Amino acid sequence: MGVSDTKLSSKIYTALVFAFLFAPIVILLVFSFNESKSLSVFSGFSLKWYKELFNDRITLEALKNSIVLAISATAISTVMGTAAAIGINRLRNKWHKAAMNTVTNIPMVNPDIITGISMMLVFVFVGRLFGAATSLNFGTLLIAHVTFCTPYVILQVLPKLRQMDSALIEAAQDLGCTATRAFFKVTLPTILPGVITGAIMAFTLSLDDFVISYFTSGPDMQTLPIHIYSMTKKTVTPKMYALATIIFFVTLALLVLNNLTDSDDDNNIRKNGKNVNKTSSLKSRQLKKRVFALFVVVVILVSMCLTCTIGEKELVLNVYNWGEYISDGSEDTYDTIKEFEIWYEKTYGKKVRVNYTTFSSNEDMYSKISSGAVSYDVIIPSDYMIARMANEGMLLPLNYDNIPNYQYIDEDFKHLYYDPQGQYTVPYAYGVIGIIYNANVVDPADAKDWDLMWNEKYANNILQFNNSRDAYGVAMYKLGLDVNSTDKATWDEAHQELLIQRPLVKSYVMDEIYNMMESGEAAIGAYYAGDYFTMVDAQAEDVDLQFYYPERTNYYVDAMCIPSCCENKELAEIFINFMLSEDAAVANAEYTYYASPNRIVYENETYIENMGEEVMDILYRHSGNFAENYEKNAYRSLSPEMLDYINSKWETLKIN
Amino acid sequence: MKKTEPISRKGGFGISLMPYSAWSLLFVIVPLIFVAYYAFTDDNFRFTTENITRFFTATSAVEGDNGTVSEVKTYVVIFMRSLKLAAISTVICLVMGYPLAYIMSRAKPRAQKMLVTLIMIPMWMNFLIRTYAWMTILQDTGIFNSILSCVGLGPARIIGTETAVVIGMVYDYFPYMVLPIYSIMTKMDVKLFEAARDLGCNSFGVLKRVIFPLSLPGVLSGINMVLIPSVSTFYISQKLGNGKFFLIGDAIEGQYIANNLHFAAAIAFILMVILLVFMGLIKYFAAKFVYGGE
Amino acid sequence: MHNYHLIEFKNVSKTFDTTEALSNINLYVDENEFLTLLGPSGCGKSTLLRIIAGFELPTEGQLLFEGQDLTVIPPYKRKVNTVFQKYALFPHLNVYDNIAFGMRIQKKTEKEIEYEVGRVLELVNLKGFDKRSVDSLSGGQQQRIAIARAIVNKPHVLLLDEPLAALDLKLRKDMQIELKNMQRELGVTFIYVTHDQEEALSMSDTIVVMNEGKIQQIGAPCDIYNEPKNAFVADFIGESNIIDGVMLENYKARFSGHTFQCLDKGFAEGEPVDVVVRPEDVDIVPVNNGMLSGNVTQVTFMGVHNEIIVDIGGFKWMIQTTDSVNVGERIGISLDPDAIHIMKKSEYSGMFGDYSSYSNELDELSDPGREE
Repeated sequence: MGVSDTKLSSKIYTALVFAFLFAPIVILLVFSFNESKSLSVFSGFSLKWYKELFNDRITLEALKNSIVLAISATAISTVMGTAAAIGINRLRNKWHKAAMNTVTNIPMVNPDIITGISMMLVFVFVGRLFGAATSLNFGTLLIAHVTFCTPYVILQVLPKLRQMDSALIEAAQDLGCTATRAFFKVTLPTILPGVITGAIMAFTLSLDDFVISYFTSGPDMQTLPIHIYSMTKKTVTPKMYALATIIFFVTLALLVLNNLTDSDDDNNIRKNGKNVNKTSSLKSRQLKKRVFALFVVVVILVSMCLTCTIGEKELVLNVYNWGEYISDGSEDTYDTIKEFEIWYEKTYGKKVRVNYTTFSSNEDMYSKISSGAVSYDVIIPSDYMIARMANEGMLLPLNYDNIPNYQYIDEDFKHLYYDPQGQYTVPYAYGVIGIIYNANVVDPADAKDWDLMWNEKYANNILQFNNSRDAYGVAMYKLGLDVNSTDKATWDEAHQELLIQRPLVKSYVMDEIYNMMESGEAAIGAYYAGDYFTMVDAQAEDVDLQFYYPERTNYYVDAMCIPSCCENKELAEIFINFMLSEDAAVANAEYTYYASPNRIVYENETYIENMGEEVMDILYRHSGNFAENYEKNAYRSLSPEMLDYINSKWETLKIN
Repeated sequence: MKKTEPISRKGGFGISLMPYSAWSLLFVIVPLIFVAYYAFTDDNFRFTTENITRFFTATSAVEGDNGTVSEVKTYVVIFMRSLKLAAISTVICLVMGYPLAYIMSRAKPRAQKMLVTLIMIPMWMNFLIRTYAWMTILQDTGIFNSILSCVGLGPARIIGTETAVVIGMVYDYFPYMVLPIYSIMTKMDVKLFEAARDLGCNSFGVLKRVIFPLSLPGVLSGINMVLIPSVSTFYISQKLGNGKFFLIGDAIEGQYIANNLHFAAAIAFILMVILLVFMGLIKYFAAKFVYGGE
Repeated sequence: MHNYHLIEFKNVSKTFDTTEALSNINLYVDENEFLTLLGPSGCGKSTLLRIIAGFELPTEGQLLFEGQDLTVIPPYKRKVNTVFQKYALFPHLNVYDNIAFGMRIQKKTEKEIEYEVGRVLELVNLKGFDKRSVDSLSGGQQQRIAIARAIVNKPHVLLLDEPLAALDLKLRKDMQIELKNMQRELGVTFIYVTHDQEEALSMSDTIVVMNEGKIQQIGAPCDIYNEPKNAFVADFIGESNIIDGVMLENYKARFSGHTFQCLDKGFAEGEPVDVVVRPEDVDIVPVNNGMLSGNVTQVTFMGVHNEIIVDIGGFKWMIQTTDSVNVGERIGISLDPDAIHIMKKSEYSGMFGDYSSYSNELDELSDPGREE
């Protein structure tokens, strides 16, 4: 009785814990089959996200990178870790032992963020020492991963070595093995379970790591987690859920297969006692061998793919853009990067490979480039960041002869404050921040200017930007303050306003705004005009999203420029020109839903038709007098002292 | 090297340990020195303690419940909050994970393997996506609240609270608590449990007097592996805390993004030192508790 | 005196999955008895012990303790303590805390505990070891601590599961004597599991010989040795020549082509029987004076005596003698009536007691096809 009771309760307990562990995975699974883009409203079954995923070159590339990285890191750290464990196990000197143990413990006791930053500092330092344009690349990423994976291998192997009877090796040597042979014939098979567990742990950790990669990866290699993180400007699409679902089933299949072959062996040994049933154990061993061989083949293939791409002498163009800010071939759209590669090869008879990586904010991009950690050929930051970079000599003047399509850019968008001489930039998109609200919750009478975002009636329904510049900007537009003030008192005033708003705010958001507005989780939020339509497309049945522009608000331009670390300027200019050409420009404008300064786009009939009247109205409402509004309201570059001040104010806001 | 060492050992030791020693020196020790170096220098790499002082002295005005405004030390407050949330998560992981590890270690070999596999599977799915999925579950109009309202319970505000952040941390780091404890429990000799029962322990007594003390090394490494990443996380708090909770990881990332590398390094350095001391203390007291001071 | 036994097994059976470990055991143990469960590995003796300790539940039958049903009482409520085979000392506790373990659970005062620990440490000759860690002790010392840890709780019954198996010969002999003395001194019932027949014979008041989950014989050591019930017992306890014979009438048996006087009776006339002759009971005599005669095929010097194998009419006898003989020599043997023990035929007849395969024993052991 008592025994079966505890058994039952432990079963129930286990089930509950696993329910907790798998709840989010079930969600991922279900929403990967969602028809709409929403991650909270299930509107119907569809396989379209899977189709999308297989058309999304950037994501697949990131996945491939992650796997290649994880396999390489696992291989190196397993070999090195096993060797190290053997060495440590043989250490007799107390101090040597203590030293090795401490060193092994450091990457595990140290927070990821510190490991990441510390390694980045070293890589950048070394890179500068050798005058390299970019200090971070696949190599540094690999080094970082090997560094944090190896201790886990050692930790798994060491106990197995300690348990091993040292007489075994002596016996092997006594029977004629050389030391090396004894290692492969006796030691390795004995400690193999530990080595395999260590390798699996290393692979798992490497695959899942985001923080360390975030600090140590370069332009040539974007891993999946970083790719996902940089989607925070737009939104994490169900594509990612589809990817997670596929990973889930592949993992499950692999592990189940592994378990099946293993338990066959166990059973045989148990059942047959001394008389091992030779045929069936042979069978399962063969199966295991086959699985192992398959694994090896996959590894070789993948690494061959990698070496092929690296080995081939081809032109490389490194592009750094916002996440989800280019038409990437999903939903049967135009695959900009691929089209460019094809077009280039056709036109110039040379292969070019575009390394397309993404950042999550202007500041993120700036600190990467200014630290000398990475080098890019084309970047697409926002205006105030361009001004700062130009000011600090981080941009190269463009040769507009190579960019004939520049002529199609509306004059209104040339010679803006950030590039008064018109020498550094080619505008890519522009927009205006507006307010989105759910008309089923918000009384349209309240939908006036910025006041709506301070309206106590809608406490816990309001979303505010989760970055200091935009959040303070909103408060300053509301108060009629200068958003580029150099007077700390002005910022303090805005800070007070944000403090007042804070109790009403449901969430400080970037990309989360999509989900929250679509599902009715929140009712009011300020965001970029074009994104409103993305939300409307996915809104839940009981949500009715509306949009309006406040009187004073932020006008911004994102423009393509070439940073001074560029290694192939002409190629970069060709790329910029290509981005302005009709197919690419229209596709990108349609994909991002942002207004385009490019005449070829906004005068394109198909484009106008596709967008529809409402969209065109909202997106291009300011096209007539843009420059004027822009000069008045755009963000400008602030001094580092000012930025630091704002940053600490922002931290203060967050700890309240 | 001692003369008594057999030749094979002498050779093997040097060669097998060499790559790792060199690697550790270059990529573990040197980077830490760099953190310290950056922490104690200004933008022109001149020595300064300003960054360190700033961590302990920067203040901000905080409005209390009754409207009174008080000055608090910004980073100290952020750090304490990080530590608090991480500690809560660690305790929950331990309380939840310990029984599971025990149940797993007592299951049949085949079931054990399956359970370990099941625990590891979520780790193979990207942690950013997993955290994102929790947003979908926990938000006010989310699945959890739908279930609550079906049962007739009012909506619970979870997202944007410390609870949500803790749930996210517990979820993401739970396997790191279970696995070390489980692995040490499978190695325990069943005879010891029998001996304890024989000497008068009921099931709880066996747990308290034998299983728990023997599993302490596993518990310690579990605590280590949960506490450290949850103290320093900067994604979970952004997503599940609705951006309302600034944790020390957010502060470091924020400073890095704002290009204040030296101050970021200073925060990292301080965090590192505090955590090292903290973990050292935990280990020391645990050892004292288990082995009676030996 | 009570009208019940200290421990009593009533029709106890135990099956694991499909294999039967114990079948229909009936056995009682009395107070102050030194009872030994003896048998080859896998005979069920450890299972029997674990049922007393409470680690296993019988599949069928009842276990009575002082007349009370003990079957479902959990181990920690039983007045028995166990000395485990590999000691099972708690590695996280030192010697003192290991011994104090049981008393702490009983919530004894620290003062009492200190006194008791000191007392038992003296008893096991390990005074002054209290602060040592158990890992630093030798096998023999660990053994004593395991005993001390058990007896300090003053159990009614002390269960010992092959406690000396891991010790070397000399130490084992010393501990045997020490354990026996300890049992007398403490006045506690010992139930002792071993597969070492010498150990069983030298220590026990009662021996229970077991094989294949069944009790083969219960009795005092000398009874078991002198009057084994079947070929298994005869072979397992000491060396035996077991010859097919026929009982002609009371006190008269015929085997190996000769009729012998014996002390056994109560068999049917002409009943086939197993005849046991212990090697040390055989007298070597000149061929002409011998009742039987044969050729010496093997001589082994054993120290106190010589062990010789003699081929008598195709059956090989083992004889232990202080005489010196040579291989190839023809000798006669003579048997006194009290050297002959007659057993009924059993399932074990014909399986043991022939030394013709003696020299081949090693080959047989290494034959992988041979199941237990």
